[in-house]
Amino acid sequence: MPETVLSVADLSSGYGKAVICQDVSLALCAGQITCIIGPNGAGKSTLLKTIAGVVRPISGSVRITGREIAGLPASVIARSGMAYVPQEANVFRQLTTHENLTMGAWTDPGRAADACARVYAMFPDLEPLRRVRAGNLSGGQRQMVAFGMAMMLEPRVLLLDEPSAGLSPLMVRQMFDIVRRVNGDGVAILMVEQNAIEGLRIAHRGVVMAAGRVALEGSAESLLTSSDVSELYLGTRA
Amino acid sequence: MSLQMIVNGLVNAALIAPPAMAFSLLFGILRFPNFAIGGYITVGAFAAYTLNVALGLPLPLAAAGAMAFTALVVWGAHVIVFRPMEGQSAITLLVVSIAVTLILENVIRLIYSADVRGFDIPLQRPWKVFGARITPEQVEIIVWSLVIGVMLHLLLAHTRIGRAMRAVADNPTLAAIRGVNAARVTAFTTALCGALFGLTGVFAGLDLVIEPLVGWNLTIPIFAAAILGGIGSPYGAILGAVLVGLAEEATILVLPSTYKIAVGFVIIAVLLLVRPQGLFGTAEIKK
Repeated sequence: MPETVLSVADLSSGYGKAVICQDVSLALCAGQITCIIGPNGAGKSTLLKTIAGVVRPISGSVRITGREIAGLPASVIARSGMAYVPQEANVFRQLTTHENLTMGAWTDPGRAADACARVYAMFPDLEPLRRVRAGNLSGGQRQMVAFGMAMMLEPRVLLLDEPSAGLSPLMVRQMFDIVRRVNGDGVAILMVEQNAIEGLRIAHRGVVMAAGRVALEGSAESLLTSSDVSELYLGTRA
Repeated sequence: MSLQMIVNGLVNAALIAPPAMAFSLLFGILRFPNFAIGGYITVGAFAAYTLNVALGLPLPLAAAGAMAFTALVVWGAHVIVFRPMEGQSAITLLVVSIAVTLILENVIRLIYSADVRGFDIPLQRPWKVFGARITPEQVEIIVWSLVIGVMLHLLLAHTRIGRAMRAVADNPTLAAIRGVNAARVTAFTTALCGALFGLTGVFAGLDLVIEPLVGWNLTIPIFAAAILGGIGSPYGAILGAVLVGLAEEATILVLPSTYKIAVGFVIIAVLLLVRPQGLFGTAEIKK
């Protein structure tokens, strides 16, 4: 069994009095992709936000390589070796592509120059756009900037909230290729994906969430072939 | 429009451009129109007056002292008044900021009375340039205003704290996710803007007079310049200031000068009806 890099235990969170996630527990192993699927409103995005410190937990624990981070502010969690890419508003629209990437190295500015070169190598399409404001980029380009920003300091754990949302089918395939490539370099990824079949195909493990709880958990393969999951969440009949 | 009116208009513009930029920066970070700026400017004017006239310091030194003191006051007001009210609506905070102005203004009136005062500086003859009169103080105001504009640009575009200010103004949640400590950026921004309001108080004392209402009378033109430029856009604020400054002078052509003060109101009203994002602001494209 590989080392656990991110472990979530009995985590509950929500907005005000509305509890969205209830007693969620899951573990992410080094070098693996875990894909969270489930219907709208199941609390998938809220779970990622809570892990990243954007939403405050009500109770429970979040550990990164053994260190407790639950309840810390997002700006402190940013230094824990985990990077989070929100689904929406995931770039600074008024800042240029290059400035956006630089913001990805905020906690360790000395590495910014090398890191930018590495990210441009990963996304060659971004290099000619370095002086363009992110607000003027296409959806796919923006997604690359958001992803590149998160990759700047070579995180051990990556949280991705619907990396394929709003992208063209071609871009979706590219995005999944990139996710797989980054994972191949040893980055553990916890990913929420609306596109459940595609998401599970590149994942090692899958988690099905419903009504704020973990309904089912298993290897991605087993979820893809489970008739219950297909009927309820994948929209197909096996 | 005569050359004299253009000169006067540019002096107006130079006076309101730095505080309009500061107003925009504050709005970008704190997300409400801060009408306490009138009080802050008055504090700056009286701080410089005290250092210059009561303590006998030369004006540049008094101006530096006033900037530091006003920076402290603006930061203090943020910590004592506005930070505890975080999460309140922009309208609530706007009303509170007007209260802050009234409090500062009346504390000053209590200490200094409502008398009209001036700095202790030698009276200088205005220069004549192609028939237009301009005082050396007015030239200084214009030069300093330009210097401040360039310095703010360098700060915002080329420094780490400047980039953080823009990032927090643009997307505070993402800035936090990337590790930016918003509290520190806010503290820096309030102090920086405070220094600019303090300097504006000094300029107002040079070009106008020092009295408890000096800041309040500048509030509407500053606000008009800031929203004309697209609120939250400090560069737009400079152009907004030039337009407001010239417009104020141009009204004298058609209306008695008492109505000059109304220009700002008219600009604000028309703009909010026709183009709420300002002339140079970009409407956010929501996906």
